[in-house]
Amino acid sequence: MIELIEVTRHYRMGESTVKALDGVSLAIGDGEYVSVVGPSGSGKSTLMNLIGCLDSPTAGRYALGGEDVAKLGRDRLADVRNRRIGFVFQSFNLLPRVTALENVELPLVYAGIPGRRRRQIAREVLERVGLSDRAHHVPNELSGGQRQRVAIARALAGRPSVLLADEPTGALDSKTGVEIMALFRELNRDGMTLIVVTHDADVARQADRVIQVRDGRVLSDLPAGEWVA
Amino acid sequence: MKLLKSVESLRMSVRSIGANKIRSFLTALGVMIGVGAVIALVALGNGAQVSVQQSLESLGSNLLIVYSGQPRGSSLVRRNTSNIVPALTDEDVAMVAGLGPDLVSRVAPESTSTSQVKFENYNTVATVSGTTDAYPHIRNFHPIYGAFVSPADVDARRTVAVIGAQIYRDLFPAGGDPLGARVRIDGVSFTIIGVMEEKGSSAQDTSLFIPITTFQRHITGGTKYQSLNIQATSTDVMAQLEFSIEQELLRLHKLPSMEVADFYIANQLDLIGTVEGVAGTFTLLLGSIAAISLLVGGIGIMNIMLVSVTERTREIGVRMALGAKSRDVLAQFLTEAVILSIGGGLLGVAIGVGVSWAAVRFAGMASVVSLDSVFIAFGFAVVTGLFFGGYPAYRASRLNPIDALRYE
Repeated sequence: MIELIEVTRHYRMGESTVKALDGVSLAIGDGEYVSVVGPSGSGKSTLMNLIGCLDSPTAGRYALGGEDVAKLGRDRLADVRNRRIGFVFQSFNLLPRVTALENVELPLVYAGIPGRRRRQIAREVLERVGLSDRAHHVPNELSGGQRQRVAIARALAGRPSVLLADEPTGALDSKTGVEIMALFRELNRDGMTLIVVTHDADVARQADRVIQVRDGRVLSDLPAGEWVA
Repeated sequence: MKLLKSVESLRMSVRSIGANKIRSFLTALGVMIGVGAVIALVALGNGAQVSVQQSLESLGSNLLIVYSGQPRGSSLVRRNTSNIVPALTDEDVAMVAGLGPDLVSRVAPESTSTSQVKFENYNTVATVSGTTDAYPHIRNFHPIYGAFVSPADVDARRTVAVIGAQIYRDLFPAGGDPLGARVRIDGVSFTIIGVMEEKGSSAQDTSLFIPITTFQRHITGGTKYQSLNIQATSTDVMAQLEFSIEQELLRLHKLPSMEVADFYIANQLDLIGTVEGVAGTFTLLLGSIAAISLLVGGIGIMNIMLVSVTERTREIGVRMALGAKSRDVLAQFLTEAVILSIGGGLLGVAIGVGVSWAAVRFAGMASVVSLDSVFIAFGFAVVTGLFFGGYPAYRASRLNPIDALRYE
């Protein structure tokens, strides 16, 4: 359960203050599949950073799974990210020199899970995204779609309550993009809460619910069927 | 859990170092040269100190020398004494001997001159020393073949000579038994009765000994001596003996103070102390120069670590997004810096010991690797890694995850 109440995020830019988010309130329930859309500069990245606990709000409340995370310090936030949130990035952001398996193990390392157990979990998750035969390849030896699958496996490894994806198909060709979106749908069917941030209307429509952001405010919050870009 | 993470950061660091082999090697090279230089240079400094000490001790033990002439600083090393007016008398010798067996074990008066020595068609230049039978014991310099000047030779003013090892080589290039051969010194004919052991110092190996009485008759004339070689009974009484001799000589020579004295006393202990001080300073100086190169090595580590942190900003962002805390990132980069410096340090120890061994083996230099310098240099290398790796690691750990993720 994600609950934002009157969340504001201001940035200082020299003399002036930029209101990246200006009083946003929204709730996303467990198992929902939501996309956040908006043009660049609309505040959707700031919203994603806040939901992902990479950043803290200037004002307002943010409860993640019943835990108030608005005022946590760096290390506590790192802990929350590690336990509750899985990130999928546009450019995959895999560590280039280590194998797919070790990339997937990474969040488990920071969770302090011992090596043998870690590898077991990582293998299971890789199998879940259909990549068990690529476990010992480094990212260079994988295709774009395979890399994004490794990144999704890495995001899933820590059993997070929310999967946050930032333009997950932005670096992929359309066919591979479709495959990734199909995987997301599958994961959601298994109960995973999914938030996809995108500027692509076709990608946004695949969710059940579309939140449109503009000028730091929620412009519309509709079921995907009713939303018109 | 802590241990687990340490093992992980160790693994990650090793991997990252392995991924940039040449760069890592060049980084470690700075520390390597620094540590190697500290160990090798301190070893050579110590070696010089030990070898100077040994050559000083080979001059004799518990040695005091009274020289004729104005005080000119202390020196046990033979200088050109030919132009010094001898000022020491038989009365002085008797006075020193009279200080008693508690203080003095032996006295040998000596006068020297540089003269040409001829044998058949060969000739060479020798430092001709007139002295007595006590000399070899005081100066720890003995004949290796034949005999030294005996009391009977001194009493009878015999024209006999004991030659240094180099003189033997110069006059008998084909080898052969020199005993009984007759050499001419300043036109006077002497019979060789012995050959001195080789000392390796040219001053000693080009000397030639004859009875002091013969020296006075044929070489200089007069009855005075240029110097007195005195052996104290032990190291402990040397200062007391020096003081007694000084006072007694001033009295006998009717002089008011050492400022106007016609003699001066060189004390082996003082000289060893001086040499130790000089050698110590020398070692310290070499060590400091080497330490500076270690510092430069440390700056090299800092430089590379800063580059590495910048290059891997995105990686740091990803790690933070996945749950790495500041201290995890700090530990990772610090471990990397310390591994580089420990690796460099270990290789540096090997290089330092190797260079010092090579200096002994191939260049014939004296070199003593001190365990202290090994530990200090190695420890300093590790501290260098921690210190110079600390700042880049701290910078990495304080990165904002959002900025780091966005970094291109």
